[in-house]
Amino acid sequence: MSIKDTAQSIIKSINGGDTLTSISLSAENFHEDTVKLVSVLVGKKLGGIYVTTSRPSSHIRAELEEAGADLSDLYFVDLVSMTVGGNTSDARTLFIESPTMLESILLNITLLERRLKSKRRFVMFDSVNGLSIYSEPKVLREFINVLGNSMRIKEIYSMLMTVKEQTDEELSSALNLLSDKMIGE
Amino acid sequence: MAKKDVTKPISLDPRGGRPREKCVTYIEGIDRILNGGLPIGNIVLLAGTVGSGKTTLAMEYLINGAKNGETCCYISVTEPSSKMLSNLQTYGFFDDALVKDGRLNIFDLTVINDRLGVERLDGTYSSKDMEALLGAFEDIVDELGVTRLVIDSITAICYQLPDKGSIRNFIFRLSQFLSTFGCTTMLISETVVDSNTQTYSIFGVEEAVADGVILMGNIIRQGDLLRSLQVVKMRGTKHSRARHLIELTPVGLAVVPLLKWGQDGGQAFT
Repeated sequence: MSIKDTAQSIIKSINGGDTLTSISLSAENFHEDTVKLVSVLVGKKLGGIYVTTSRPSSHIRAELEEAGADLSDLYFVDLVSMTVGGNTSDARTLFIESPTMLESILLNITLLERRLKSKRRFVMFDSVNGLSIYSEPKVLREFINVLGNSMRIKEIYSMLMTVKEQTDEELSSALNLLSDKMIGE
Repeated sequence: MAKKDVTKPISLDPRGGRPREKCVTYIEGIDRILNGGLPIGNIVLLAGTVGSGKTTLAMEYLINGAKNGETCCYISVTEPSSKMLSNLQTYGFFDDALVKDGRLNIFDLTVINDRLGVERLDGTYSSKDMEALLGAFEDIVDELGVTRLVIDSITAICYQLPDKGSIRNFIFRLSQFLSTFGCTTMLISETVVDSNTQTYSIFGVEEAVADGVILMGNIIRQGDLLRSLQVVKMRGTKHSRARHLIELTPVGLAVVPLLKWGQDGGQAFT
C-alpha cells in the first residue's frame, strides 16, 4: 500500500468514526512516511499530539517544517531527548525523563490535549516498537491497552505505528484485538 | 417522544447509605480516587518515604483550598516557615496573594513551642506541654476558622512524646477537636522501607487513630524511581485501593493508575 493510500485509509477511518488504528509501515521509509501522514492530517485541520519514542522531537519537527506542514496545533511528547541529553526546551513539547515511565505518556497527553484548539484531534504514537526496547512484552501490551482505551474515552483518534519488520505475531495480535482498523498488514 | 430513562443508577458503594460531605482536594485524580474528596473533618495520615511527594501533595491541597476561599494552615515542624515559603515559590500553582490575604497560613512549631514555653532540653513533652500544644492548635483552628490543616510532620512531634500511649492520646485528642471544627487534616508521616516493606508510620500507632491513610512511595522500574500513591483507608467514603502513579507537572500533581506489570522493584506494605 502506498503512503497516499495509507493516508486515504486513515481519513476514511476517521470519517467513519473509528478511534483507534494500528498502522504497520516498512522500516525502509518508516520515518518519511510517518511525517507524510502527520502532514496530511494537520493539512485537514486536525490538531494533534505526536508521541515520539524512537527519534528526538526536534528532528521530527524539522522534517515536518521542511514538508511545509502547519504546526500551529501540533504538540509533542518526547521520550527520547532527555534520555540522550538532547535539547529539552521547546514550548510545544513535553519531555519524559525515561522511556520506562509509560504512565507519564498518558499524563502528558492529557496535559497537551487541553491545549489543542481543533475539534478533531489525533495522537500519533511513533512507535510501539520504540518502547519495546525498554519494556517487557507484557508491560507493553498492558500499556497499549490502557493507552488505546484512554484515547477512546477521550474520543481522540489514535494511530499506533509499528515497523513491519520488527513486529512479532504476539504484539500484532494484541494490536489487532484493540484496534478498530489495521492498516498495512 | 422518547420515554425518559428512569432506571435507578447502580450504587457502586456496597454499604449504600448517604455519602458524607466532602472536602474537594481539586487535585485531578485524587478526588476521583476518593470518590469526590476527603470526608470533611477527617484526619488523614499522609505516609511516605523521603522524596515521595508528601509535602507537595499537602501543599497543593492547601493552596487549592485557599484559592477556593477556605482558610488553610500549614504547621511546619521540621523546617523554618521562611524556607517553606521560598520552596512554595517554585510551584507553578502557588500564588503569593494567598499568604498576604491570610487564606494560607504557615506556622513554625518551634515558634509555637517558644511562645508556649514547652521546648524541653531533653526534647520530650510532658503531659502539661502536650495539653498546651493541643490548646495552641485548637486556638489556631478556632480563631482563624481553619478548614484545612497540614502538620508536617506528625512523626517529628511523636518523637517528642514519651510513649506510644501518649502518641495515641495526642492524635486522638487532636482528631476530636479538629473533627468538631470541621477541619480536614493531613498529618504527614515519614516512613522508611525496611527489607522491602514500607510501614505507615515509625511508631505504628498513628494509622490506627487516623480516619484515613494515604500511602506514598517510590517504585523502581528498570532502575528509575516512580512516585506512587495508594489510599489504604478512608472512613466515610468509598475509595479506590489501586496503586497510582503521581507526577509533578507545572499545573500541579497529576495521577494515573499504575501499570500492573510495571513494578519490578515494588515495595510491600504492612
